[in-house]
Amino acid sequence: MAGTAVHDDDEPFLEVRKLTLQYKTARYLITATRDISFAVRESDRLILLGPSGCGKSTILKAIGGFLKPAGGSITLNGGQIKKPGADRAIVFQEFDQLLPWKTALENIVFAIRQTRKLGRDEAVEEATALLKKVNLGKFGDTYPHALSGGMKQRVAIARCLALKSKIILMDEPFASLDALTRQKMQEELLELWAETKFTLVFVTHSIDEAITLGTRIIVLSPHPGRIVDEFELDWTRREANSHLEFAGLKERITRILFRDMDYVI
Amino acid sequence: MSSSAETDIPEDVKRKLSLYEKLYNISALRKIVLLLFLALAWQFYSAYIDNPLMFPSLADTMSGLAEVVRSGELPLRMTTSLRVIVVGYSGGVLLAGLLTVLAITTRPGTDLLEILTSMFNPLPAIALLPVALLWFGLGYPSIIFVIVHAVCWPVALNIYAGFMGVSNTLRMVGKNYELAGLAFVFRILVPAAFPHILTGLKVGWAFSWRTLIAAELVFGVSSGSGGLGWFIYEKKNQLDINLVFAGLLTVIIIGVLVEGVVFKFIEERTVVKWGMKF
Repeated sequence: MAGTAVHDDDEPFLEVRKLTLQYKTARYLITATRDISFAVRESDRLILLGPSGCGKSTILKAIGGFLKPAGGSITLNGGQIKKPGADRAIVFQEFDQLLPWKTALENIVFAIRQTRKLGRDEAVEEATALLKKVNLGKFGDTYPHALSGGMKQRVAIARCLALKSKIILMDEPFASLDALTRQKMQEELLELWAETKFTLVFVTHSIDEAITLGTRIIVLSPHPGRIVDEFELDWTRREANSHLEFAGLKERITRILFRDMDYVI
Repeated sequence: MSSSAETDIPEDVKRKLSLYEKLYNISALRKIVLLLFLALAWQFYSAYIDNPLMFPSLADTMSGLAEVVRSGELPLRMTTSLRVIVVGYSGGVLLAGLLTVLAITTRPGTDLLEILTSMFNPLPAIALLPVALLWFGLGYPSIIFVIVHAVCWPVALNIYAGFMGVSNTLRMVGKNYELAGLAFVFRILVPAAFPHILTGLKVGWAFSWRTLIAAELVFGVSSGSGGLGWFIYEKKNQLDINLVFAGLLTVIIIGVLVEGVVFKFIEERTVVKWGMKF
């Protein structure tokens, strides 16, 4: 994992400034997050970690362009984010994110053809290569309903890579998977990242997952969501003393999250 | 997928199905056997009453049917009816499509569709025939008008329900690809809502077929070139009751063929293949 260290001098790539997000229910206007600010640099693997109700998924949806901020701003490469776009590929938690009427391969081909000016043959070639990369080379002609949960999420990740986006947003993509599959998927995601070093914003409520995947972890607390702490993980020293550091960090984050514990993770 | 799993199962926990068990699993076969029983019951019952004017036997009906098929009379009536229904049905579906696309893209469109469907869906299409006759005269334009009415509302209701039921995740995926407007409708919403759309098309077909036959019963078109409904009515007046039954049988057969062959074909190639059948 050499060369994955933090680039301190880099301009922020994605910048979230004093972000306030609200949503309406039948009787209330609810503030999901208040005055959240953070920056993501290129090739960061930023984790938004927190219990339910901390607004982590809401923040991700706002970066995706699906929600208009009630206050503050989100900029990508200096440009204000106003609507959804293929420059921010998203992987969702739900298994139904694949188009059920298209095969695994065609799901990726469709993503490529809708967002990039590419001929069908080239798109198929690229999609085939991507499927191989997520270890689904044999399942190109399979329809999503015949794939397992883990396979579906692999296709969804391949589809996101196919967009060649500036940034990839993942909203608890492994949360509905069994523990073994989840661990395998985390490893695979890191391998994929090592190849192209894409910028990743990853939402999770699992401390273990955050520590396994992140180069930076932002810890959020709920009602309204606000940042309570931020950690930078030094991946250059990771191999040497990972166990110690892991355990220490996990304890610290757990303490933070349970500090004034009147909520449930 | 299951076949490879089956071969992995050791011999001592599996047993081959007997021939009878295999045959019993074929639903078409079970239905054919039942149909044969019904046909036999018909034949015996008519022999028992022995009154061909009230209840002709299956044999009489079949020989009558063969006769009018050979003479070309029935095929002519059939094509007349089918031609009308194709026009009316596609018109109704098209109108339903337009209304629903309008409904999901604009707020007033939504309100309009809701008002129109709640008003017109409960109104039997055939009730509009007198008005249609007044407007379009004694001819097929009137029948087409009622068929369009019969098809449009149930189809629109189903397409609309299908569009509304498309999961938020799929919508966001479409938006993520920057699909908008009609591209979003046709590449995401229509296939995602296809199970509902297909149900709508089936219901619409059944409604329109019934309406057509009922409307044709009311009047035959001028030059005596009416459709199947008119054929039935005409034969009743001529007291060719076995031909009345032959006409009814034809109406049933066409209905079943469209449902069991045409729609089945579409279903197998779409929602069944996609694992979306409900």
